[in-house]
Amino acid sequence: MGDQRKTGFVEAQSTRRICGLGMSLVSFAKIRGNTHGSIKQAIAESLDLINYSFGDRVKNVVIKPNLCYYWDYTTGQTTDPKFTAALIDLIRERLPDQPDISIVEADASAMKCTHAFKMLGYEKLSHDKNVRLVNLSEEKGKRVQVTVGSERFRLIVPKTVMNADLKINVPKIKYTPRETKITCAMKNIFGANPYPKKFRYHSRLNEVVVAVNKAMKFDLCLIDGNIVSGNQPRKLGLVMASRDPVAIDVAAAEIAGINPNTLRYIQLAFKEGVGNMSYSPKGLPISYFKERYPQRNFRDRVMGTAYNLLVLTGLDRRIGL
Amino acid sequence: MRRIGLGIIGLGYIGKIHLRHALKLRNASLAAVSDLSKKSLNEAKELGVRKTYTDYKQLLKDPEIDSVIIALPTHLHLECAKEAASAKKHIFLEKPIARDTSEAKNIISAAQRNSVKLMIGYPLRFNTEFCRLKEKRTSGVLGDVEVAYATFVSSGPFYHRTVDSAPAPVPEWWFKKELTGGGALVDLGCHLINLLRWYFGEVKEIKSYLGYRYNFDFEDHAICLSQFESGTKAIVNVGWFSQEYQLKVELLGSLAHARVEHRPQNRLATAAQMLTMGTSEFHHHHFSELQYFVDCAIHDSDPSPSGEDGLRDLEAIRRAYQNSIKLG
Repeated sequence: MGDQRKTGFVEAQSTRRICGLGMSLVSFAKIRGNTHGSIKQAIAESLDLINYSFGDRVKNVVIKPNLCYYWDYTTGQTTDPKFTAALIDLIRERLPDQPDISIVEADASAMKCTHAFKMLGYEKLSHDKNVRLVNLSEEKGKRVQVTVGSERFRLIVPKTVMNADLKINVPKIKYTPRETKITCAMKNIFGANPYPKKFRYHSRLNEVVVAVNKAMKFDLCLIDGNIVSGNQPRKLGLVMASRDPVAIDVAAAEIAGINPNTLRYIQLAFKEGVGNMSYSPKGLPISYFKERYPQRNFRDRVMGTAYNLLVLTGLDRRIGL
Repeated sequence: MRRIGLGIIGLGYIGKIHLRHALKLRNASLAAVSDLSKKSLNEAKELGVRKTYTDYKQLLKDPEIDSVIIALPTHLHLECAKEAASAKKHIFLEKPIARDTSEAKNIISAAQRNSVKLMIGYPLRFNTEFCRLKEKRTSGVLGDVEVAYATFVSSGPFYHRTVDSAPAPVPEWWFKKELTGGGALVDLGCHLINLLRWYFGEVKEIKSYLGYRYNFDFEDHAICLSQFESGTKAIVNVGWFSQEYQLKVELLGSLAHARVEHRPQNRLATAAQMLTMGTSEFHHHHFSELQYFVDCAIHDSDPSPSGEDGLRDLEAIRRAYQNSIKLG
């Protein structure tokens, strides 16, 4: 247990014991260079560190990158198609039965998949690697009801996600002005919710993020932290892997300099049994990446808070910002 | 002094900037606005605009209005400008004048036929710093300007838009070449080509490299190599590929060099200026161009940049497209 990291959140830890969940593995690997081969090698290393195997008899694979907007991978906001391409090659290497692979994303308030797939290089990737691109907002799905605490949510699980026997979540690590403070694994799955007007959920974002993660359980989280978006984009060369979306988000928050105990969606997810808040780190020490992550400084936080106040009070609109 | 009645057609990004400024103009009153979005019309009402229309044709019938600001998507310029001219309204038309030179010529002849003024919205021509650069060039302190570098790079239409604090999509027309008339070279390049023509005369020769980072059937960045009547060679560099806004012009002369950069301010400084002055330093040239347009209408003088200017800019861009070269 020497390498065990504890979040220090006593209440959540005790709840974890009540839930009877075990310690989750989270790996940290470094991309050395920027070639397809070096990315693939780092992904493979991160998976081996958590003893992850894609399994056998896998016929349908779903990969969910983060394509939140029309900003390409250099901004650190969206998943690099080169990272996704390396993952596809690794899956095909390790799964001899050549499964069907679908890259999925759903329309959002400001983003349409049809444009994002083209602009961010996923149309080309689909052509080059012979994988399917699926706009989840255009698919039929199954209606499900999910309860988080006392709140009940009606959601749709799209057909492609429902029918996949291996679901891989490929998020980014970035700050968000929303209540969740960071966007990582669990928030990326919120993006798979086919309902496009996602801003309507923003008043109860913590609960909805957890609800969508309960409705769509992904088998593997693999963070593309090659370029990260902090107070500015920076090449970090990080790959993180875990089966547990909560544990990996806890580790990602620590890298971004945010106390995970202050993130309500993480606490909620833990209480709802989505995953653990404690994790066992594997690979390179987290401090290596934490020191290099472009964390927000005091000035950024003050400016961000002041601007959010303008928005909250509606003053931004009144003065024509 | 006579006051003129103004109407604004289109309350998108630039239309809303004009709305704020139009309310503060000397010798003009903003009589009405039109837009398809009722939300935008309600915002205008909150700011004090009395009359709002969802159909701009109704606005054009309004006798209180002498002049209109057309801030519609480019593919709607021709029809709207022709109708405004027929209704005998002076026209301030956002850049680019039209999708192509044929539409531009139609707009110009409609304005001439109806004896109304036509001005194209090129705010850099009213920016104090860019005006000083022009003075330096004409006063001779730079000597012969052998080379000019002009750069305008930003995220273009792909900035993060919000409506009532909620994220809003990029309007679909931006993704269709047949509606925009082109990509970054039309959208941003027309500003720089117009400015350089103002400094150095007509474009004699122009070649371009067109870039397709975002895989569209129109360019998202372009580099033009051009020569002007004065003999100055210019490199015009435009792009939608960057999160960072950069607009700068550098003149390299035989005696001295000069450089102007138009930088965005931080949002809080902008907020403070909007609260105290009703405009911001960054957008002040938009106010100045509208004031100039109003003054032209009142004093019956011909505005510049004119429709002809808009046409010449499009002609240069068309030649740049025709003379595009491939790299690599």
